[in-house]
Amino acid sequence: MVVELYAASWWLIGGFDLITPLRWAVVHQQLGTAGGAVMRTVSPFPGGAGAPHAGSFAGTFLTAGIGALTLLAAPWFTRGVIAVDRWLLRALLGPGELAQRVRSLEETRALAVDDSAALLRRLERDLHDGAQVRLVALAMRLDMAKERLGPAGGPVTDPEGARELVATAHRNAGEVLSELRDLSRGIHPPVLNEGLPDALATLAARSSVPVELSVDLPQDQYQRPTPAIETIAYFCAAELLTNVIKHSGAGHAVLRAEQRDERLRLWVTDDGRGGAALSTGTGLPGLAQRVRTVDGSIRISSPAGGPTAVEIELPLHA
Amino acid sequence: MRALRIVIAEDAAVLRELLAQMLTERGNEVCAAVADADALRAAVAEHRPDVTIVDIRMPPTHSDEGLRAAIDIRREHPSTGVLLFSQYIETRFATRLLAAGAAGVGYLLKDRVANTAEFTEALARVAAGGTALDPEVVTQLAHGGRRTAEIESLTAREREVLTLMAEGRSNAAIAQTLLVSAGTVEKHVAAVFGKLGLPPSEDANRRVLAVLRYLEA
Repeated sequence: MVVELYAASWWLIGGFDLITPLRWAVVHQQLGTAGGAVMRTVSPFPGGAGAPHAGSFAGTFLTAGIGALTLLAAPWFTRGVIAVDRWLLRALLGPGELAQRVRSLEETRALAVDDSAALLRRLERDLHDGAQVRLVALAMRLDMAKERLGPAGGPVTDPEGARELVATAHRNAGEVLSELRDLSRGIHPPVLNEGLPDALATLAARSSVPVELSVDLPQDQYQRPTPAIETIAYFCAAELLTNVIKHSGAGHAVLRAEQRDERLRLWVTDDGRGGAALSTGTGLPGLAQRVRTVDGSIRISSPAGGPTAVEIELPLHA
Repeated sequence: MRALRIVIAEDAAVLRELLAQMLTERGNEVCAAVADADALRAAVAEHRPDVTIVDIRMPPTHSDEGLRAAIDIRREHPSTGVLLFSQYIETRFATRLLAAGAAGVGYLLKDRVANTAEFTEALARVAAGGTALDPEVVTQLAHGGRRTAEIESLTAREREVLTLMAEGRSNAAIAQTLLVSAGTVEKHVAAVFGKLGLPPSEDANRRVLAVLRYLEA
């Protein structure tokens, strides 16, 4: 603030000094030609250094000259001050790299929190509508079967009915087990405990579209990515393969995973009809956001008519 | 047990059909089995059943459609009892349900359905204008309240009687459940009311409300 005022003062001082001859003339008009009047020169430099006072009319022209020089220099000085100001403004208030990073982290954190809340809600719904209902039905059937078996120590009142109910209850139990198995696979596939290569191999094997698998990942557990990253990579591959099966109409797909230079790279390509994009309803936006949350990246090449290639790059730890 | 005319509202088809089968086998008439609250209201208006069995969570929002329908049905068709059931007990639902009185209403965990004898007995009680509350409701309310000192002053038997009263059972039913005489039950009931400082009440329904209000405090 002070510097700007100082810069402005150069204009004022320059103007003041420039009109010194006029001032002399006015003063001497008022005072008569009483000598000894001295016209002060104001110097633009702080402390008034090096400003000769004008002792005569001729001297006033020297002052005027100083004023003219000051005025000529003023624009450059002012411009210099303004340039410094602009730089300071941008450095202190502008969106610096750090601020942008913070903003990005806040966004992805919010997405991650929403994501996990939505997942938990879906799990609760699946359990409530699926496994729990089946178990209640199973329990009911067993109770009804018990009644048909008659009193303890007494005759069996309805053996056929009892048998049928027990058989159905038995089938229910199998259904519940299968459902719980699917549910837990959706939470954390047990095969991931064997490592990403095996997990990806299982995905490829289960796919209804033939998948060519190419895996170049370290077996050494100290070089492997963290379990969280492996899980994300697995679910990305699973989602991408599901898209291939459901949307692409492809006859052949390639799943490739490679770890190099502290990055884990995943490729899923197919020879289908293409047209996949982050905007269409293929679960790609959700996938991209999960990747972003760990500072990974996703690249999609999917021209209409195909082929489609999706590349995901992840750090080795979140 | 007399044959009841029943309407079932449950959105899980497996459970709905099994319930209908179980109740029909026991000699009741299932007038209608529906899957959402609007269909329930229509079915009750059409058939005027003795009692309805209603899942609290139904489409479209799966939050409290059943509860709202139950409250409406109690108001519009006072002769139709409503037995609500759900996977979880939420005490605030119990409070809303009982706000208009404990007569002819019930709230049970779906798990109770697995014990068909007890379930049908609770159903009959509600159809007859009584109350049937899940012991879980009582437990949750008791734990949420501040009456632990008073409740701990009861003997174990008295606490059992208290819980059974809170479920809506009559003295005769309590006697049957605990396998004691009716006189013993009356003695326990009087002791409970005395220790808790509640006014004595013969009416099972009013008793339920008194006990619950006490526990909730």
